[in-house]
Amino acid sequence: MSDTVLAVKHLKTHFFTRHGVVKAVDDVSFDVRRGETLCLVGESGCGKTTAALSVLRLVDSPPGKILGGDIAYHNDNLLGCPDERLRQIRGKRIAMIFQDPQSSLNPVFTVGDQIAEQIKLHLRLKRKEAMDRVLQLMERIGIPKARERMKDYPHQFSGGMKQRVMIAIALSCDPEILIADEPVTALDTTIKSQILDIFQGLKQQKSMSILFITHDLGTVAGIADRIVVMYGGRVAEVGTASDIFHQPKHPYTHGLINCLPKVATGRIRLAPIPGTIPSLIDPPKGCIFSPRCQQRMPVCDEHIPKEVTITSDHRVACHLFA
Amino acid sequence: MINRFSNKVGGLRNLIFIATLLALVLTLLLDIYALDRILAPLAYFYLFFALFFMFYGLYPLYANRRLTKYYWDRTKRHRLSILGLIFIIFLIAIALIGPFLTQDPTRVNFQEKNLPPSGFSIQQSVYDLKTGGFVTRETPGTLQHPLGTDDKGRDMLAMLVSGARVSLQVGLLATLMAVLIGTILGVASAYLGGWVDNALMRFTDVMMTFPFFLLLVFIVFIFGPSLAFIILAIGLTGWTGTARLVRSETLSLRAREFVMASKSLGASGTRIIFRHLIPNVISSVIVIATLSIPGVILAEAALSFIGLGDPTVTSWGVILNAGQRSLDTAWWVAVEPGIMLFLTVLAFNFLGDGIRDAFDPRSQL
Repeated sequence: MSDTVLAVKHLKTHFFTRHGVVKAVDDVSFDVRRGETLCLVGESGCGKTTAALSVLRLVDSPPGKILGGDIAYHNDNLLGCPDERLRQIRGKRIAMIFQDPQSSLNPVFTVGDQIAEQIKLHLRLKRKEAMDRVLQLMERIGIPKARERMKDYPHQFSGGMKQRVMIAIALSCDPEILIADEPVTALDTTIKSQILDIFQGLKQQKSMSILFITHDLGTVAGIADRIVVMYGGRVAEVGTASDIFHQPKHPYTHGLINCLPKVATGRIRLAPIPGTIPSLIDPPKGCIFSPRCQQRMPVCDEHIPKEVTITSDHRVACHLFA
Repeated sequence: MINRFSNKVGGLRNLIFIATLLALVLTLLLDIYALDRILAPLAYFYLFFALFFMFYGLYPLYANRRLTKYYWDRTKRHRLSILGLIFIIFLIAIALIGPFLTQDPTRVNFQEKNLPPSGFSIQQSVYDLKTGGFVTRETPGTLQHPLGTDDKGRDMLAMLVSGARVSLQVGLLATLMAVLIGTILGVASAYLGGWVDNALMRFTDVMMTFPFFLLLVFIVFIFGPSLAFIILAIGLTGWTGTARLVRSETLSLRAREFVMASKSLGASGTRIIFRHLIPNVISSVIVIATLSIPGVILAEAALSFIGLGDPTVTSWGVILNAGQRSLDTAWWVAVEPGIMLFLTVLAFNFLGDGIRDAFDPRSQL
């Protein structure tokens, strides 16, 4: 497809720990298209963050190691290109926002300096020009009294404001792709919706692609164009937002959606998925979800399910549809 | 063009620093090849550290006036640390301008030997030429030698001033050097991790167990006693504590998300080390530096005391050594440098305490 900006194919990232090999990401494929919001959804520990970090080769090594796969960004293979080239892409073309705004800013520099750093690094602007740009960015992202606040230190900012600063840093070089790793999880609901609005606005104005990582289906419902549901380091189901919410195929996706409180049906009890994620060091032999699956079949214990195409955009990895 | 280079090394300040450093090296080379001395060899040594201190000590304090004021306000709450600071400033002042105001500390005058400080007087038995025997005579201190003279008639005040200069040189330069090495090794070790970390830390272990006095005796034996080598020896062996501390601090910093964030935005390893890690550990480094200066000063005094010091300079240790031999006849010769050492060490310790409390966010006074 021509409007694919980032194609991740058969990505394998494992962690080699003292207790064994953790297969955090095992054969994951997805693609990000121009101007869309792709959400990576799953429980804690399902490998969403590792997958996102692998895109920019940010997995700490050791213990982590990207064992295989292919990440294509235009003509560059991000897994194979030299470090120098990768540094040019990081921040300038593909930017990233992290979960915890409290610790994502360097406490000893002013906020303005930190936003300016990437600008000076990538766009080679002079200090004065860089500072003008910082001011614009801070205003665009909704930080009041930007001219004074840019001289403040991170501890003088609230959590929501810090996350805005992080977004400003990520946007400073007008990236093509924004990877946001749980950017609103640490924030309260009001701030959360303001930040999500900023994301929506950016996507429309700049036709930027967003890879949004979250475990919160409520957030996903608000912003996603397409959704990748991950479970135990593998992709369970990929589809458009309406596919996933209205016609979920994978039993795990069903389970996730049943966990959401619904106003319309008036159901009193939520239906959690029984059990927990199995150890990724020693996963079940067949389908990794099988121990918790209510529609488990004998084949599920034997073979890892292959991806089945339902419609051109909707794929599911489950033996039920094989 | 300049912009591009300064981006490579992380800022215009670093660029100017590197440029001045290069200029210094160039004059040094010129000095070696052209026989005319432009600067004394020791001057290069001092200039290097002075440059370093200016660019990475004074300039940031000036650039972040608000932060400097904040730390100053916090340090100020410690009354004793201010006293310490005043004493240190006084010491620096006399070390800088004192030698121009006092007499020559090496001038020997046996006519005026063993004069007590002014205001004191002692009973001294002197050989009287007229009677041809020893008589006991009252010897009062004179205003010409306000702190008295030693057994060779040298002016104590001049010697103490010269000693202050030596002590400060050794204390500040050796500490700066130790801290510099320790910080760079510590941060690099923690940031790079893996086998680099292992190798550097085992090297630190070896350095820690290596007897520092033995190394110094070797150096003195090979190169001859010289202040520069004493500073080098202390600096080259004294970094281990700093390296350990900085490494452990960096390990916890490295796990913080801003390092990952900075990496995700395209910063290189050196940039992360110099822009993000070092500024974050610098406050502990300053504290450890202030608190290790007294140890270094005492080490130099001890070396001079046992005769391993530079014989061409008058340091407090040398005076102490001379004084302890005549403690029964001329007590002031040993007591005066002793008091100076005591006060200097105390002043640095007080200041260090104050700075530590100011830099430690957990101590809300």
